[in-house]
Amino acid sequence: MNKKLLKRNKFYDKLAHYVITIGGVAVILSVVAILVLIVRVSLPLFQPPTSEIVDHKITVTEPLAVIGLDDYQENVFTIDQKGVLSVFSLQGQETVPPVDLGINHDAHIIFTSRSRTEYSLLWDDGRLSVVGISFRPVFNAEGTRSIEPQIAMQGEYASLPTGSPLLQSFFATSVDEDAPGTVRVNLHQDNSVSIFRTSISESLFGDVEETDESFVIPAYFETISALALSEDGRQLYAGTGGGTLLHWDISAAPVLEDTVPAFKQPITALGMVFGSQSLAVGTADGSLTTWMGVRDSDQSTTKKLRRIHTLTSHDSPVVAILPSRRDKSLLSWSAKGELHLDHMTSERNLYNFALGSVSLASLNDRGKGLIALTATGVQLLKLHNPHPEVSFKTLFGKVWYENYDSPEYAWQSSSGSDDFEPKFSITPLLFGTIKGTIYAMLFALPLAIFGAVYVSQFAPPHLQQIIKPTVEVMASVPSVVIGFLIALMLAPFIETHLVALILCFLLVPLCFVGFLFLWHYGQRFKAIHEMKSGFEFLLVLPVILGGVLLSYYVSPFVENQFFAGNFTQYMFENIGATYDQRNCIIIAFGLGFCVIPLIFSISEDALSNVPSGLRHASLALGASRWQTAWRVVLPSASPGIFAGSMIGLGRAVGETMIILMATGNTPIMDWSIFNGMRTLSANIAVEIPEAPVDGTLYRVLFLCAVLLFGMTFIVNTGAELIRDRLRKKYAQY
Amino acid sequence: MKSKYWREGEPFVWGSGAALALILLLILTLLVVIFKNGLGVFWVSPLSHLEMQDGSKLMGEVVQSSVMSMRDEPRSQLKIANRDLYSLDFKWVSDKDIKQVTYPQDAILIERQEYGNFVGFLSSVTLLNQPSLPSGEYATLLAGLDDLKANMPELEAVKSQISDLNYRVESLDHKLAKLRFRGEEQGDDFQQLTMQKELLQTEFQTLVTTLNVLQARLMQNTARFTDASGTMLTIPLSAMVRVYKPNNLSFFAKVSLYLQKTRELFFDEPRESNTEGGLFPAIFGTVLLIIIMAIFSFPLGVIAGVYLREYARDGFMVRLVRIAVNNLAGIPSIVYGIFGLAFFIYGIGSSIDQIFFPAQLPAPTFGTGGILWASLTLGLLTIPVVIVSTEEALGAIPGGLRESSYALGATKFQTLTRILIPLASPGIMTGFILAMARAAGEVAPLMITGVVKLAPSLALDGQYPFFHLNRKFMHLGFHIYDIGFQSPNVEAAKPMVFVTTLLLIGIVIALASTAIFMRNRMKKKFAIAD
Amino acid sequence: MKNDNRNAIIAIEDSIVQVRDLNLFYGTSQALFNLNFDIPRNKVTALIGPSGCGKSTFIRCINRMNDLVDSVNINGSIQLDQQDIFDKSVDVIDLRRKIGMVFQKSNPFPKSIYENVIYGLRIGGVTEKPVLEEAAEVSLKRSALWDEVKDRLHDSAMGLSGGQMQRLCIARAIAVSPDIILMDEPCSALDPRSTAHIEELIRELNGEYTIIIVTHNMQQASRVSDLTAFLYEGELIEFGKTTDLFTVPVKKATEDYITGRFG
Repeated sequence: MNKKLLKRNKFYDKLAHYVITIGGVAVILSVVAILVLIVRVSLPLFQPPTSEIVDHKITVTEPLAVIGLDDYQENVFTIDQKGVLSVFSLQGQETVPPVDLGINHDAHIIFTSRSRTEYSLLWDDGRLSVVGISFRPVFNAEGTRSIEPQIAMQGEYASLPTGSPLLQSFFATSVDEDAPGTVRVNLHQDNSVSIFRTSISESLFGDVEETDESFVIPAYFETISALALSEDGRQLYAGTGGGTLLHWDISAAPVLEDTVPAFKQPITALGMVFGSQSLAVGTADGSLTTWMGVRDSDQSTTKKLRRIHTLTSHDSPVVAILPSRRDKSLLSWSAKGELHLDHMTSERNLYNFALGSVSLASLNDRGKGLIALTATGVQLLKLHNPHPEVSFKTLFGKVWYENYDSPEYAWQSSSGSDDFEPKFSITPLLFGTIKGTIYAMLFALPLAIFGAVYVSQFAPPHLQQIIKPTVEVMASVPSVVIGFLIALMLAPFIETHLVALILCFLLVPLCFVGFLFLWHYGQRFKAIHEMKSGFEFLLVLPVILGGVLLSYYVSPFVENQFFAGNFTQYMFENIGATYDQRNCIIIAFGLGFCVIPLIFSISEDALSNVPSGLRHASLALGASRWQTAWRVVLPSASPGIFAGSMIGLGRAVGETMIILMATGNTPIMDWSIFNGMRTLSANIAVEIPEAPVDGTLYRVLFLCAVLLFGMTFIVNTGAELIRDRLRKKYAQY
Repeated sequence: MKSKYWREGEPFVWGSGAALALILLLILTLLVVIFKNGLGVFWVSPLSHLEMQDGSKLMGEVVQSSVMSMRDEPRSQLKIANRDLYSLDFKWVSDKDIKQVTYPQDAILIERQEYGNFVGFLSSVTLLNQPSLPSGEYATLLAGLDDLKANMPELEAVKSQISDLNYRVESLDHKLAKLRFRGEEQGDDFQQLTMQKELLQTEFQTLVTTLNVLQARLMQNTARFTDASGTMLTIPLSAMVRVYKPNNLSFFAKVSLYLQKTRELFFDEPRESNTEGGLFPAIFGTVLLIIIMAIFSFPLGVIAGVYLREYARDGFMVRLVRIAVNNLAGIPSIVYGIFGLAFFIYGIGSSIDQIFFPAQLPAPTFGTGGILWASLTLGLLTIPVVIVSTEEALGAIPGGLRESSYALGATKFQTLTRILIPLASPGIMTGFILAMARAAGEVAPLMITGVVKLAPSLALDGQYPFFHLNRKFMHLGFHIYDIGFQSPNVEAAKPMVFVTTLLLIGIVIALASTAIFMRNRMKKKFAIAD
Repeated sequence: MKNDNRNAIIAIEDSIVQVRDLNLFYGTSQALFNLNFDIPRNKVTALIGPSGCGKSTFIRCINRMNDLVDSVNINGSIQLDQQDIFDKSVDVIDLRRKIGMVFQKSNPFPKSIYENVIYGLRIGGVTEKPVLEEAAEVSLKRSALWDEVKDRLHDSAMGLSGGQMQRLCIARAIAVSPDIILMDEPCSALDPRSTAHIEELIRELNGEYTIIIVTHNMQQASRVSDLTAFLYEGELIEFGKTTDLFTVPVKKATEDYITGRFG
């Protein structure tokens, strides 16, 4: 024997062993890897926010009125109470020479407010300065980046000639291009509020004209302790020491819209949530809530303020509430120096810092940096909370969103504006998935299973050998083809022939039963009696076709007679049910067609694998062929049929193209068979091209994928275990 | 008597027969609808000229006559074409408004590069360097078109030169960007490349001028037409794809046109946002996608199947793995798609970009959808099909064959390659074919991983390095979705959707039938051997 | 009663296989108990016993086919030419090349007759055509199949009759010139005519090869073998010259079995 060759053979064998083993294990690991990866992408949604303290060398000597941080967290700016604006790098160097914003060098700033990038500074001599502060990156010739402050004096308003001295002053610029202008709102010491509005109008000839208006809201009987002005300058809110929330519409002459005496505590702080739709209210006992105008009934046009979200309470009176300029988060701090960052929609308390005492604090515009002036100096924190809007409740529960009249399950991932409140409720998608699957299975299961019973039990063998492969081949029909056919051919057809379809469900069974009776009595005739069995389905075929055609021709008559000529109209007027062209009937057909071959083929296998001995035994005892099939074969094959149904179900749950093409993809929750829906799978296909990588939407879509994976995993594993047991059970025969 | 009839359950037999009949009816309907609509698209149908009661005139093919329904009057849908004149391709006409229908012999149909078909009558032809033929305007038009066709190669040559230059400039740009990225802007290489680029750009300019001259000359060959209502329209000959008189064609001429159009379907580029012209890029993309997928998934699938059946020790682990594989087969394809996006594109692709193509960043090279990533995703999706069929095929081989091979001193590997694989090959082939059928029909994961409605260039072409696996591609299945649902004029796109559907379903059914036929034959073979 | 089997070792001058203290377990259940006996060179040894007594399990130890079964554990030794076949240094592939095997169910590969016969040579690396052809002819002649198949050597082996298939399997085993041929109930699936053919073949091969044949057919054992071992419930009850064992059995159990009281 050739020793060298033998050695080589053995070497190859070893090598192959390793290669194949590694390859096999790798393939298997990849299953796990898929799950791990999609879970890993979606996991950060649920990770708690983190923060880190940033070292810096900034020291503050003068008492400050404003403190802020740029988006790159490289520059800190301060305005001291004398009105000197300084910009520091984190090393403590001043990056630009200090700017003196004041005119009167003896004056001090007594109140500041912010609207967008504009800071309004109220001086103790009654003047108001508006200064815009922003930062932008500048690249020099070498390509290195530096952050340059942009400081612009927006306006300088002289002190008011009359009236009681000012306590607070707010300023807003309209962003409405059709009605540009500015608004200034002042709170006086005598508890009255004055409003000054400048509207800029342009005539047809291009002449710019400014009109000034002023209004005074007389003093309310309770002390006004806090004011908030919407960013567009049209809504004014006030909180009183008596715990009453007031709301004026000041787009024209002030109208008191709402008086809400809802608080037993003095209101100590107000703040508009980003987007100016919601108002955050802080009280003396430290509670923090958000309020929003809600229509109290479907008919009413006026909106009343209602409490929508309750956020985590402080331990002491809330001192200030500042909105994030990126999302619906709110920064608030209390008298004892507890600093909170909460997200309104998810009601999550993102951060809770105990800083001793806080005199000023600010979030940068990207919401990733926090600066606070405390007793110990300037505190700088880097925040990492990429998905504040996501919580278990916003994903699966009912949430009261802005502009909604009640809490809803809603999915709306994006909109045109920045201050949009994203709605990431997966519930309507789960609902849509389940709804589509149920209707599809209702259609597919009986057809597939009984079809399989017929083929395996009653059809002659040579027919079995034709029908089974034919149906199996149908399993490979691409879903995009089915989707196209049902969406572009079936959907318009059913829309015009809805009555015919409904009649079909009545007339086809009727025709069938009628035929059975005829057939039964036809047994007396020799020709019929002696017909070979096993071809019943061919005889039934014309009967079904006849029923369908009958419904088709009768339907216009029925529709005219009973439904005033238009069934969908009639349905809408009488039951209030709307009819979408792309609805669940269509889906049931499409998905059904897609899963029937699958269920049919597995069920047929299970049925024909039942040992023929069982069948023969039953027949020998005088049972009829149906009794044998129903009482002997079907129970034995039932685990297999169940497994087939489960696999069909798994397929229906994950099917994408049919749903994408044949439903309207609207995420509504309605069991009506005449409406569409949006499923998890279609949602992924629709939204993923628009989702920024690693953003919240991206991760939520991965969560959808995880859910889909999970659903199909359970279904498939169940089916596989059942099949495994069945295999073992019949291995003994 | 009656109770016996019911007790024996004969009606239920009929009921289950009815279920089967319904399934078969559904299948039949599907096939009939697709074949009837798909095969009929290229068959020339006559142009009807309608004179209406109100005196207006219309011409076009009757697409469908209305459904019989009591609430509507009988009506017909007419494809009136001439999108540039009427802005609508189709029109519903109530049958009772029609005064007279004729089929004029000289009615002419022009398939155009833009605006869809034109339907009307020829009035005059203006050819730049050719006199009108005495045999009539139509003959002159045909002669002009022939002449044009003769000139086309010249035009095409210039165009391909231009695209070639474009590519070269682009690759120079890449090199320049790389140098700039390294900070070697002062180097000799950089200067040289810049010079080269300038040279190419001047060449480019001359070519564009030549092209413009050629095109301008072609534009001067025009023909004037009138539509049914007498509106005049001038169409340059170069905008015409095909001209014929549908009402004046012999049967053989129709057959020949049918074949011509079929040929165009397979080998030409699409026109009119994919609703007309050929499917070549989509067919090419689909085939290439399947081939690349096969390269990855088939060997791995077979190896895994062999491992499971021949190498892994039977027990809990193997059972677990079987369940995992079956699960893998049941995972929705969209989940594979999103996995491909995260893993291949944003994971591997972005890393490749950072390591090998840092100069092009932030424009992604591999960090975006492309045919490679789509193929890999599909590969993952089809691996379970291959694993399962490999395992089944190996499992069907009687154990005695393995034993006798071992008893003769064969190693495991020798047994595998000499006995088992050859015997299992029909079963494994079945798996391959089923996998290919699945890959050909799958669309959802592709939408995430790089399929596009119109790919500017193929993933395989004559430009170095020939294989451009990062390029986006077209696909028959996505084509159906795109033109059926995303195109602005769905009604006009329908014929094309049907043709694409017919092609796709033809491919898939042919593959699947072969696979299932092979599988059944193999089952029988081993049933006897047992 | 795990009796001492030492007395089963009868004096054999030229033994090729020595079995010593062989125990075999399937997982936790023991299938072979303490086997001890020698198998003579170039003689036919038959193993008889009721089904499930461990005959097949035993001969599958000799060419280590039991390696393919995961749950099998073996202790004790089988010496082949003074070398313990369970020793780590023994290569199982080499071992199997020295020991041919014929199975209960004939299982020719679905290849041609010729390819079947030379399979063992091919995988051993023999490529010279004349060598292969000669080996095929010799082996087929040995197994008395040559005359029947010489005109259709390249036809599929699946077209042969059951008896021919089994003889082909014997030819396949002979082709690699093994020292020992193991036969695991080679005739149990065959008709009487084919059985006669195979038995005749075994008698012809006697003297050239060491043949160990498992059978549950006592007549067959008495017809073809020189020595017979009787196994019962995993133990070797009696081992001796075939003529002795069938005429004057020492043990009661042997007598009961051969007289048909059980089994």
